[in-house]
Amino acid sequence: MRGKVACIVSVCCMVLLLGFGTAFAQQEIKIGVLIPLSGSMAVIGENLQMAHDFAAKEINDAGGVKSLKGAKIKLIYADTRGDPKVGMSEAERLIVREGVSAIMGAFQSSVSYTSTEVAEKYQVPYLVPNSLMDQITERGFKYTFRVERKGSYWAKDQIDFILDMGKKTGVQAKTIGVVYENTDMGQSIAKAIRKLAPEHGLKVVLDEGYPPKTADMTPVVLKMKRANPDVVILNSYISDAILLMRTIADQRVNTMALLGSSSGYSDPSFVKEVGKLAEYFFDLTEWTTDLKHSPLVAQKNAAFKKWTKDHRDFNGGAAFCYASTYILYDALEKAASTDPKRIRDALATVKITKGPAMIIPWTPIEFDAEGQARGARMLVIQYRDGQRKSVWPANIASTAPVWPMPKWEERK
Amino acid sequence: MTAGSVLPAACAVAAAALFPLVVRDPYFVHAAIMVLLFAYLATSWNILGGLAGQHSFGHSAFFGIGAYVSTILFIYYHVPPLVGMAVGGVVASVISIGIGYPCFKLKGPYFALATLAFTEIFRIVVTSTEQIGGIDLKGAAGILIPLQPGKSLLNFQFSGKTSYYYLILVMLLAILFVYRWMERSRWGLYLAAIRDNEDAARSIGISATRYKMIALAVSAFFGATAGTFYAQLLLYIEPALFSSAFSIEILLIAVVGGAGTLLGPFLGALILTPISELTRTYLGGGYAGVQLIIYGAVLVAVMMFAPQGLIVPLKRGWRLLAERRP
Amino acid sequence: MTGIIEAAVNGILMGGLYGLIAVSLSLIFGVAKIVNFAHGALLMVALFTVYWILELLKVDPYLSALLAGCFLFFFGYYFQRLFIEPILKREKDTAALTVILLTSGLMLIIENSALLLFGADYRTVRTAYTGKVWEVAGLYIMQPRLIGFVLSVVLIRLLEFYLRRTNFGRAIRATSQDREAARLMGIDDYRVYKVTFGIGTVILGFAAAFLTPFYFIHPAVGDLFVGKSFVIVVLGGLGSITGAFLGGLIVGLIESVGAQFINSAMVESLIFIVFIACLVIRPMGLLGKERE
Repeated sequence: MRGKVACIVSVCCMVLLLGFGTAFAQQEIKIGVLIPLSGSMAVIGENLQMAHDFAAKEINDAGGVKSLKGAKIKLIYADTRGDPKVGMSEAERLIVREGVSAIMGAFQSSVSYTSTEVAEKYQVPYLVPNSLMDQITERGFKYTFRVERKGSYWAKDQIDFILDMGKKTGVQAKTIGVVYENTDMGQSIAKAIRKLAPEHGLKVVLDEGYPPKTADMTPVVLKMKRANPDVVILNSYISDAILLMRTIADQRVNTMALLGSSSGYSDPSFVKEVGKLAEYFFDLTEWTTDLKHSPLVAQKNAAFKKWTKDHRDFNGGAAFCYASTYILYDALEKAASTDPKRIRDALATVKITKGPAMIIPWTPIEFDAEGQARGARMLVIQYRDGQRKSVWPANIASTAPVWPMPKWEERK
Repeated sequence: MTAGSVLPAACAVAAAALFPLVVRDPYFVHAAIMVLLFAYLATSWNILGGLAGQHSFGHSAFFGIGAYVSTILFIYYHVPPLVGMAVGGVVASVISIGIGYPCFKLKGPYFALATLAFTEIFRIVVTSTEQIGGIDLKGAAGILIPLQPGKSLLNFQFSGKTSYYYLILVMLLAILFVYRWMERSRWGLYLAAIRDNEDAARSIGISATRYKMIALAVSAFFGATAGTFYAQLLLYIEPALFSSAFSIEILLIAVVGGAGTLLGPFLGALILTPISELTRTYLGGGYAGVQLIIYGAVLVAVMMFAPQGLIVPLKRGWRLLAERRP
Repeated sequence: MTGIIEAAVNGILMGGLYGLIAVSLSLIFGVAKIVNFAHGALLMVALFTVYWILELLKVDPYLSALLAGCFLFFFGYYFQRLFIEPILKREKDTAALTVILLTSGLMLIIENSALLLFGADYRTVRTAYTGKVWEVAGLYIMQPRLIGFVLSVVLIRLLEFYLRRTNFGRAIRATSQDREAARLMGIDDYRVYKVTFGIGTVILGFAAAFLTPFYFIHPAVGDLFVGKSFVIVVLGGLGSITGAFLGGLIVGLIESVGAQFINSAMVESLIFIVFIACLVIRPMGLLGKERE
């Protein structure tokens, strides 16, 4: 619906503009945004789209890009359908046809992986808010910048968290299971865990990839039950996350902890659909609404909640899209130009310490020579009373973790 | 070719050759390359689907094999893709015989479903295989092909899109000649006999399985070469190249244009490829899914009103026009 | 060992539902020789129908199937009447490929229209049965799955009874076996096709009602079941109701027990391999009749 309204409004605006001639025409900065808007990922894409739109609206309402005489940011969305091929040709279209000055996107690693290559070829800066595949920033590209932490570090954070919890509570995990959707993201985390876990004295007793579009998760859950790992690390999109969670509860699979890897487990519809079953579930994520490092977190989340039609909170992915839009805005102010090359140079030297981008919990935001955000770190949340409460690391956390999780039989 | 069709054919080729000189926008050149590539791919399907009447739902298997074979040879053994293309074609032909052996025992929808199952097996295995004997298949992530410093035909990498355009144009003309040649040869007659009535063909001593096998091998060979071209054009390959959805896309193009006709697949590509590109361009952002509804509606309309392919009413119209001329 | 038994029990329960979905496909495939690629989309329509009935009327999920059935019968009937019948009338014998492509087009239209209408949200319905588990000798059996399985068996017995004992049921079977002969006997074959399609869609309505208590609803949900359904239909034998149900159980078992031994990502290919092997070794399927 928002699309339709926006469309009607923009048509009206165009008519008005034509009517008044070009006297009121204002300079616009076109920014391409690649996200999945149809297919099974559409729900994720729509959520991210709102975050980008919200940031752009705030920036434009506050007077646009001042170094460019108040030029407004115009986001041009392109639907990748979650397909790396489509991502490539849409990136090319955004650059060549639409003439965008920069690109943000593309959620799925595989799509970011291929579409950044196109941007590199055309020398247009590409800011990646959410994709974690290591290689995205390991190809020596000059025009790719990633705000998110690398996938292999995710695995490291997850293991650190498990060890840390063991030390703090005395209930130490010895065995670990990894269950993942058999896609690039799942494979990439699983690969890192396979390598890292034994180095830290954790035995991998279950290593299970399941195909996308699995109709029944029970076989996987039964396998989990038999392997009986102390901690299970999960990586899923939404539908499989819902099915897995319900089946784990149905089969009464008790572990010290279930630890998700964001994505499906951080999506608003996950907790909405599984309800109480999500209680005590841990999730490694980039962000939560209760972070204490800055008052901006609560302010901006409240504003977003008010602005969205269904009054939703930011999730990690959306928060990063929001912050990324501001990072790009910062670069635009610095570059004072719509020339992609100059924006790229500005991005390479940003050092953000204030402004709405600081809803991300690390200062300053800056990129290393590879284009990877320096200091990027992850945190762990636990679902408590249906809320995502940050529990680790302790210095920015709002809540004390419950470790181990209570057994299913003991819950109400 | 009759004298009457030489002139329009020559005009069409000349127009195609001039296209990138007139249209310099790389976006349109890219779109044109995709049209020609799909026309090529659908024509390679047409060798089995049209000439022999075996409607394969697994053509993407060969496309994927071609893409993966040439890419692996290129990255790990530094074999130039032009050579890898030929090797990929031969590998696909050999594998196609293994697929054809069980599948040709089946008819109609059973053949369709079996070929579909084969390509899905390929997709699943490639998705789940990270490594095979020291060669990194990269599983679901797919393989990115490194850019080469030297631009050459042998390396299959060029600085501009135009070179790719002319290359695929030449490839398309070549496969159209092969198709025409096969259709007119003794093979083609046998295949037509098998297509129209397999039992009757067998009873007059035509070894149906053997001729279908030949058609399959040729079709697989060309399908695989398209895969190599695609890999070198996009410099990225992934297991989804093997997907059944992609197979159906290829088949749709051939059938919507007109299976079993020389220019049907080309016509299909000319219509369907731009539809999917344009609707995505103009509707993709705001109206998610509408582009697929339009695509579906075109498909339904063609199947309901011109099931023999759009080439049939087009030809009829052309003939009427020609007769009316003094 | 208990793990394997547990997996087998689950495989059978889930397989029963796969079987029911496949029975619907098999009926249409067997009688009208239509390869319906829109089957998954029809299942999705059935799921949304049940969903809205439950949301608006708050009835028991199993009761909702009856209400949904009334609507779905006509949906299926007119689906056949408007789109497939014209092609069958025109092309007679060679319609297989045309119908496959037509139904793929319809699948795209239906699924993406649902996406426009209902959005991409995942929906679930919390019913009285959701999340209820029976503990039997250390095995956890999920209530909605067991109820769904038992009702599926009952439904399939009823369907067989209908096909064998009623006049119209016999007409359906006669058309399935030899369309020309049936027509000579005065059976209106096109009417048989339409009613068969309607019945097939009603069965999907039941499958949807059985799934809803423990499943999610989404415009693309049909994709999860459709590939499997084709495998099951061929495995069980064209047009054989019991065969399709048995095929469902086998696929459920392979999926559930197979995953205990090899990676689940590869189990999917195992199902396709069994499928091709079955086609080659026993093309008439487990319970199918020899075909020409």
